[in-house]
Amino acid sequence: MEYRIEARRDRLIVSISGVITFDDHEAFRQIVSEIAGSDPSMVELSLAGTKMIDSAGIGMLLLAKDKADKSGKALILSGVTGHVAKVVELSKIDQLIKIV
Amino acid sequence: MPGDVDANQIGQTADSALILIVDDLRSSRSMIASILNAAGFPNHLFASDGVEALAILEREPVEMVILDIVMPNKDGFDVCREVRQRLRLNVPILIQTALQDADERASAFDAGASDVISKPIHPHEIASRVRLHLERRRMLDRLQRYQRRMDDELQAAEAMQISLLKSDEDVAAIASPRGADLWTFYKASNRLGGDLWQVFEIDETRFGLFMVDLSGHGVAAAINAFRVHMLTDALSRHRSRPASFLAAVNDYLCQMLPVEHFATAFYGVVDPSVGKMDYAIAGAPAPIVLQASGGWQALEGSGLILGCAPKTDYEAYEVDLERGDRVLCYSDGLYENFERPELSLEPADIARLACELLPVERGPGFLPALIERLFEGPDAQSQDDLTLLFLEVRGHG
Repeated sequence: MEYRIEARRDRLIVSISGVITFDDHEAFRQIVSEIAGSDPSMVELSLAGTKMIDSAGIGMLLLAKDKADKSGKALILSGVTGHVAKVVELSKIDQLIKIV
Repeated sequence: MPGDVDANQIGQTADSALILIVDDLRSSRSMIASILNAAGFPNHLFASDGVEALAILEREPVEMVILDIVMPNKDGFDVCREVRQRLRLNVPILIQTALQDADERASAFDAGASDVISKPIHPHEIASRVRLHLERRRMLDRLQRYQRRMDDELQAAEAMQISLLKSDEDVAAIASPRGADLWTFYKASNRLGGDLWQVFEIDETRFGLFMVDLSGHGVAAAINAFRVHMLTDALSRHRSRPASFLAAVNDYLCQMLPVEHFATAFYGVVDPSVGKMDYAIAGAPAPIVLQASGGWQALEGSGLILGCAPKTDYEAYEVDLERGDRVLCYSDGLYENFERPELSLEPADIARLACELLPVERGPGFLPALIERLFEGPDAQSQDDLTLLFLEVRGHG
């Protein structure tokens, strides 16, 4: 997994590429703390470059959502396609996290 | 010269490591001994040739060997080789040599030496190298001891986890009188896993099939699997209604699991006497029905993963199961390939393969054959925990 964070005026965009698995736990914790410490009230996790996500990866998205909620920010997922879209469809996490 | 190294200067108490000094010259042996004494290593044994050295190594707990190459009877190279190959000791061996030739020094390493120092011996150098190799050896020993202990503990935990699963006989004792055959497969990706399956007796005609996959793998997922196992034992009053069973599991998991953990599950209540299965799904891959007629369908239905939102309602579904129909339940370890995403499978791929296999392998041979085909071997080297349940409806009564 690799990621890039871009702070725009109205939102923080975190673009994640590659494969999100259990091994990316540390890196993802970093993302989560950046989300909590950022200024914009909107956080967009862009998964357009994400090839695959495992159950631990879904857990990390839930963690990001939880941290965003607790710091009063809205979190959305974008660019959900391919394997990620299938996992989202199966897990129904669109009931928990807004997907655009 | 021994006075060059001063124990006080190095500032430490004596190290009790037993060091074997092998040299055919008495003067060399006593010089090395006094250097080591001064450096804080007072515990020595001596050998004047290779044969004597090996005899000592066979009976004494030597922690370090300082070895000359050119000696009568057996030279240093032979001693090295025998220590490694015959005695199978990993004691550090420091070879001292007057030979400057790089090939010669390389062959000392090939023979099994840990390090090579040049003669004439420099007191500070030999003391430092002895210290370094002893430290390294002790660190490796500690790591190996730790690893052995962890291995033992994991093995015990693995046995505990496997003991949660019903035996083939127990499964048959539930399914068979109710008009079905059921076969199971479980393998953790790394000793402990987060998958769990259970089979419940409900009444004279019905039984429940439960499959759950806790997020992540390894120890944390396994602990959560144990919790779910205990939990489902306590939920017997919900067992006949899949949707309320999953809703009850969900409510407990919401309290139990940290925010980044969750579970996916399938629960089906099979009644061969009326040819029907009631079921509910929470984020799990939909089981595939392989029809007696030769067709197949992935079960419809879905539901939110467990452990995230309390009071979630799960939808109740049902499917007709004719005599000869089969149901394949599987965890995502069967079709997801994270090392080579392009090799991940779709339900249609699994169904097609299953349909190909069925004329050849049915009953107890089916799951092993499916695994053999999908993983190119019987061991199911999956990166994720893998669980499969295979049900055959024999018929009414």
